[in-house]
Amino acid sequence: MDKPFSVPAYPEIAYLALSCCCSEIATTYSYVIKFKNNSRTLMTDIITVKNLVEIYSDGTKAVDDITFNVAEGEFFGFLGPNGAGKSTTIKILTTLLRKTGGTVTVAGYDVEKQAAAIRKIIGVQSQETTVDGDLTGRENITLQGHFHQMKSGEIKNRVNELLTLVGLESAAEKRARNYSGGMKKRLDLATALVHKPKILFLDEPTTGLDPQSRTAIWSYLEKLNKEEGITIFLTTQYLEEADKLCKRLAIIDVGKIVASGSPSELKREIGADSIRISLEDCQKDKLNAKELIKSLTDVNEIIDSEECLTVYAKNAGLLIPDIVRALDSSGIRLASITFSSPSLDDVFIKHTGKRIRTEELVKAPSTMFGGRR
Amino acid sequence: MTLLSDTRYVFIRYLTKLVRNPILLFFSLFQPILFLALFTQLLSNLANIPGVLPVGVGSYLEFAAAGILLQNAFGSALQSGNSIVADIDSGFLHKMLVTPMSRPAILLGRLSSDAFRVVIQTAIILALAYVFGAVENKPFTVDTGIIGILLIFFTIAFFGLAWSGISLALGMKTRSAETVFAIGGVITFPLLFLSSALFPLSFLPTWVQDVAKFNPVSYAVDACRVLMINGYDWGTILPAWGVIGLVAVITLSATLYQFRKVVS
Repeated sequence: MDKPFSVPAYPEIAYLALSCCCSEIATTYSYVIKFKNNSRTLMTDIITVKNLVEIYSDGTKAVDDITFNVAEGEFFGFLGPNGAGKSTTIKILTTLLRKTGGTVTVAGYDVEKQAAAIRKIIGVQSQETTVDGDLTGRENITLQGHFHQMKSGEIKNRVNELLTLVGLESAAEKRARNYSGGMKKRLDLATALVHKPKILFLDEPTTGLDPQSRTAIWSYLEKLNKEEGITIFLTTQYLEEADKLCKRLAIIDVGKIVASGSPSELKREIGADSIRISLEDCQKDKLNAKELIKSLTDVNEIIDSEECLTVYAKNAGLLIPDIVRALDSSGIRLASITFSSPSLDDVFIKHTGKRIRTEELVKAPSTMFGGRR
Repeated sequence: MTLLSDTRYVFIRYLTKLVRNPILLFFSLFQPILFLALFTQLLSNLANIPGVLPVGVGSYLEFAAAGILLQNAFGSALQSGNSIVADIDSGFLHKMLVTPMSRPAILLGRLSSDAFRVVIQTAIILALAYVFGAVENKPFTVDTGIIGILLIFFTIAFFGLAWSGISLALGMKTRSAETVFAIGGVITFPLLFLSSALFPLSFLPTWVQDVAKFNPVSYAVDACRVLMINGYDWGTILPAWGVIGLVAVITLSATLYQFRKVVS
């Protein structure tokens, strides 16, 4: 790429370098990251997105100037709540939606001028499960193979392969209408893979699935990425999913990328445990409480959060008694206090001030004919 | 040619869906059959009033059969818009659009499956009319024979395509199956009743006669009717094709325009 050391693609690196209190560490860190950054540019970027903007006809800014790259073979994720701009970005990358501004290339092709070339090498699973209920599992995959201009013999073998991969051999001749939610998602994934795509785009592939189906999908995806080297671009609103699958991710909120890096980098950036404090009268006591806690030793940072306050500290276990004592002696009544080691949730809170809202994780879609074969 | 093969796969998909939804198939046939039975029974005495039916027409069944064919074509065409709404809602349209498949094939596949279906329905209605005629001892036949039947198939399918255009355009514009049906119904009934489809023009009030003369449905009905009753009256058939062609150009342009908006 033109400027290997340019920062804008990784604003959090600059942040990290600055936020480290110890200058020695800061130097080491920035060295390591510069090195990593440099080596990354030696790999081929299969997706490049620069200053992408999408404004809908009603004036909504769905995507607000985002820039990121995805390397070939990488498992990359977009983590964000509903309406953050994840699906919009995927629609632009998969040639379904025209962008308002910016440059986007997929496998070196311009997403608008060379859309036809892109469609040959991408597989897409959209957020809605788009299998045709009137066709059988086998017919659904076969049809998709025809749309990719594959030869009939080639399709036949590939369909059998895919049915085995997603564990649907025994349901292959049944109409997809009668599949359970998890089976439909697995079939949908198989249809996206029929032409052996180089890049797989998955828009919330496990939303609304039961835990077993989710785990099954995760294992197929990891297998595809590791064994077949398929680049995977995934969006999710599940922290756990992003943490488990993605080698690198961007956190997106109201159309902007607020942080990006590997899950462990992002968590390390928090650099501390988080202590969530809620007060009986948050409005009244918030400012006082903030001052009191700030004056304690070993507090890294304190921010406003949904509970009321979130405190970041190296050793939360030792700090909690101090906080309780300090608040108690000033007559501030505590409602609850909890602490946890850093998670992607903390990363999200840190950058957006709110928790990521997800629909109930375990809620399986109700299916009338939800028989599991 | 990917256009041809893709059209074929889309065509097969829609036919498979139709065959596997017997309820849909049953109701789209049931209504015209009901109409055929009801109208021909209710109005059979029209034939006894001298001068109401055109000369050479032996029964009301013989007169109304062409109108019933058109009515069936209307009903079928309206389901076309419904199907595109379903594909947009389910995301299946997007699923097709992210593949390298030919874009026009998405529309052509749908339209050709509509045409195919309406031809089968037309054949069934003609056969049924033949049975009704035989039972009542007032024979119903297509006087121009097998070629005439093929020309009727062509006219009805052509008309069906022109009308599918309206429902497809409406479907893509409104993205609502209910709206397609509501608007479709509102358009269908006046067009059908203010035409020569179900009643002889001379039987209708003068203003209706005037409207009917400009109604494309009258042209299509008259073409089918002459093929059944009078023979190859090209002076009626060719203008009908011209009028249907004109309607098709308008409605299919609207469809194409909406499709471009959906696709881009």
